[in-house]
Amino acid sequence: MPGQQSVQTICPFCGVGCGMNLLVDHQESVVGVSPQSDHPISKGKLCAKGWSTPFAIEPGDRLKHPLIRTPNGFRAASWEEALEVICFGLEDIITRLGPDAVGVISSARASNEDNYAAQKFARAVLGTNNVDHCARICHSPTVAGLKQTLGSGAMTNSAADIDQADVIVVWGSDATENHAILGGHIIEAKLRGATLIVVDPRRTRLAKLADLHLQVRSGSNILLANALLHEIYRHGWQDQAFLDARCEGAEALAEAVADCSPSRLSEAIGVPASQIQTLARIYGQAGNAMIFYGMGITQFVSGTFNVMALANLALSCGQMGRPGTGVNPLRGQNNVQGACDMGCLPNVYPGYQDVADPAARQRISDYWQCLVPNRTGLTSMGMTRAALRGVFKGMILFGEDPVVTDPDQNEVLASLKALDLLVVAELTMTETASHAHVVLPAASFAEKNGTFTNCERRVQLVHQAIPPVGESRGDWQWLGAIARRLGSKALDWTDSQAVFDEMAAITPNYSGMTYPKLARHHGLQWPCNETAPDGTALLHQTSFPIGRARLIPVHHVDIDEPADGDYPLQLTTNRLHFHYGCGSMSRKSPLLERETPDGILFINPLDAQSLGLRDHSAVGVRSRRGYLETRAILTDDLPPGLVSMPYHFHEAPSNQLTNRAMDPISKMPELKVCAVRVCPLPEGQQPRPIQAILAQTSGSDPQETSG
Amino acid sequence: MMAYFLTDLAELTRHLGRTRQIWQHDARQDWFQTDATTPSPLVAGRPARSAKGFFFAEQEHVFEFDGRYFRETLPRPKPFALIGVSSCDLVALAYQDQFFADDPHYQARRQQGLLVGLECTTPCTHGFCPTVDAGPGARAGTADLVLHPLDDGWLLTATSTQGEDSLRGLSLAAASECAQQLRDKQLADCEQQFPDDHHIVEGARRLNAGEIAEDLWQHLGIQCLSCSGCTSLCPTCSCYGVQDQSSEQTISRRRFWDSCLYDGFQREASQHNPSADAGARVQRFWYHKFSDDFRQDFGRYGCVGCGRCEVTCPGVIGVHSVMKRICHE
Repeated sequence: MPGQQSVQTICPFCGVGCGMNLLVDHQESVVGVSPQSDHPISKGKLCAKGWSTPFAIEPGDRLKHPLIRTPNGFRAASWEEALEVICFGLEDIITRLGPDAVGVISSARASNEDNYAAQKFARAVLGTNNVDHCARICHSPTVAGLKQTLGSGAMTNSAADIDQADVIVVWGSDATENHAILGGHIIEAKLRGATLIVVDPRRTRLAKLADLHLQVRSGSNILLANALLHEIYRHGWQDQAFLDARCEGAEALAEAVADCSPSRLSEAIGVPASQIQTLARIYGQAGNAMIFYGMGITQFVSGTFNVMALANLALSCGQMGRPGTGVNPLRGQNNVQGACDMGCLPNVYPGYQDVADPAARQRISDYWQCLVPNRTGLTSMGMTRAALRGVFKGMILFGEDPVVTDPDQNEVLASLKALDLLVVAELTMTETASHAHVVLPAASFAEKNGTFTNCERRVQLVHQAIPPVGESRGDWQWLGAIARRLGSKALDWTDSQAVFDEMAAITPNYSGMTYPKLARHHGLQWPCNETAPDGTALLHQTSFPIGRARLIPVHHVDIDEPADGDYPLQLTTNRLHFHYGCGSMSRKSPLLERETPDGILFINPLDAQSLGLRDHSAVGVRSRRGYLETRAILTDDLPPGLVSMPYHFHEAPSNQLTNRAMDPISKMPELKVCAVRVCPLPEGQQPRPIQAILAQTSGSDPQETSG
Repeated sequence: MMAYFLTDLAELTRHLGRTRQIWQHDARQDWFQTDATTPSPLVAGRPARSAKGFFFAEQEHVFEFDGRYFRETLPRPKPFALIGVSSCDLVALAYQDQFFADDPHYQARRQQGLLVGLECTTPCTHGFCPTVDAGPGARAGTADLVLHPLDDGWLLTATSTQGEDSLRGLSLAAASECAQQLRDKQLADCEQQFPDDHHIVEGARRLNAGEIAEDLWQHLGIQCLSCSGCTSLCPTCSCYGVQDQSSEQTISRRRFWDSCLYDGFQREASQHNPSADAGARVQRFWYHKFSDDFRQDFGRYGCVGCGRCEVTCPGVIGVHSVMKRICHE
């Protein structure tokens, strides 16, 4: 430790936004971390990923120079050369096909400044609203659903509120693995006497500690919410005063759930009616009740309706606008909230200002001094589809690995191959980067200043601790370099603070924020403006952004691909505490990598037995879309009939199998459930990585290969 | 052992700083290198990190192999002084000194480091050093110099030859008997102020008597997220893992802090794992901290009562939480 200094910053992993100090040695590398004892959320704690941060960004395999694809693979290039290739490619495509043939995928791992720059680059420099990011596959239904019912698509309450909840319902979220520190707050609340209820098809860690676990069938969320509402209205447990004063549509909702009795729906939901009645009673009669939810709500073709169903539940019981209540989506990535706030979405400018609203367009155009496009752009999956149709030809993408993380890997690969120009900026050579025409070296969070917005809307400062590795650059800097070459001064900022100030002036929720103010407060929660200069811990206290909240009845939507004779098992996806997204950061830790054998399939012992599998048996897993090989782990955390895979492992990517059927409103693919067939590999045969399987089957239809 | 009266602490810091880097911890509760010519005020109590990492590096290279020769990669730190090490952390370093007695990397740093202790006069949150004989007064043989705050200055005691040598050239008055008495009184008062920690004593007894039900460990195991926070911050934890990294010319081995709470810690290549069970791993951790078996080897418990695990554990199974559960279930 002699020769080290410690730099205060924010953890680069999940959306909880824990405070950490980076320890920097005299050779300017990050050699350790320590938790910040005085941080308002993490209070001296970090999770396994946070503790492993130095490994995640270490220089060993980092990209250090731009790379340009040649027929013989990549060659190192100068920035000048790389920028020239990129600009030539972009200008060529735009000239031939117009600006809507190009687009930007920004990164929920990057800062607000980077994301603001990305959407401004798309809109002001390229001239398209084709900009999106991974929120599409995590919480786009939250934004769509809560915007309609409450008027704001974010966590209504704060992490600190957990202390004041009498009842905590964790619905479709494995919080101790994905949001470990917040999951820990929930454990703490349970130990001090709060009632903990978990709704999940998997027996999660919190389910094991809970007072009640409803081990529901995948895709039965709306049935359960409606059955609960049925009980609540039948017994008069609704908060009539709250409904009368602040909501509309309660009567229609009560009517809509009149035939949703627990006894009628219990079989479809997969739990006894008595459990539904118990949950209805506990939630309906609670003092303060807080709902947390995750991908187990959003990643369905019914995603937006699922979110609205939860909002109906909370609003009906008046569990809104007070500490320890609310509807609280847990966001997956460090800055996915911020990337949404910045307008890295095809239908909204910064601050959720609708691109279809002429006044908003005028405002942005005046501010940026250029006419911004008004046609809603393509979503990430929309770009994939458009590429396959040959009408989308150029993509700039950073800090995201859709080949591993997006549904239906084979389709994603085909779409990337259809591009004339794919530019990927990354820390390391990911699967997606390996298909790029130009790869740019990106600076990690430890190498730049900026801000991240956590899932409780807290905007926090990230401080540069070390110089950028090699020739890597921050995202707003290289985006600015491309813009300048294309003849635009739209991204000419001197430092990250200048980016932030420009953004805050046009983003209403951020208008009261400045770097010095963020530094003084351990971050500020939006909305932070003239009326709330110190930010807002608790939304909807006296009114909703849309005036009265809307109770909108929703009805069950079948999952797209139930199990059948050919594909008899239902596959769901999950995440592990030790890994993050595509694994490009967390898998660099020798400790975390040791924790999990490459890629795994969790399976109930009864299913394993009927297939002749033992623990760690090599298996082939097939869906209608693809095939992979991995190893089975036997666990009764899953019910018979349901298997599960984490999506962190590029050699055994669950997205070979997943279904791209989408929620029609948010375009969220149904990542949480599809049908698969599992079969043991012959004795002694090792699972092959997907790259080997695809190489062996290239030219032939992967559907027809062995396994 | 000589005791002096020191009016101005900055005088000592400047003096030590002429030949050494100076490290302190501050209100942000972290260690930082300070400019000895204009030192910051000293803050008593437990910093977020103990002094362990100054000697047992969180990660470091241990050797390189170039195809023909192995080359040591020993650190060569400049002399440094840690000012304000709490008594519990001093005891922990003495514990580490035993564990790493023959470790050249640890010793290369240890020999360059001067430990200046700072005795606590008020208990810290979650701390219970008196119960495990680690504070609030500095224990014999654990520091080079020890500071104790007095009303109008500091009682400075040189407790090692290296400490005595480090003061050479500084003109210091001998401490009065009165100052010594005040120290004893303040330490005694401080001890009185610690909250009741009967559960620690009783928990350790039950643990050694094997009176803890298996299903309690199982339940505690569910609460262990395997984050490695406790082992990272525990000042007496010393387990490390190794990894060989090859570049074009060389193979380099590095070591890094490991954690016995990881499933992979003891897993064998065959996938057989003697401690596959999270509850068993939690049990092993606490056994290492409070078992009489280790007392025979190290002359004391593995726990120095700093309470950091209670702060950092997301699963609420730090030392107080665990010991209370042991006593109440």
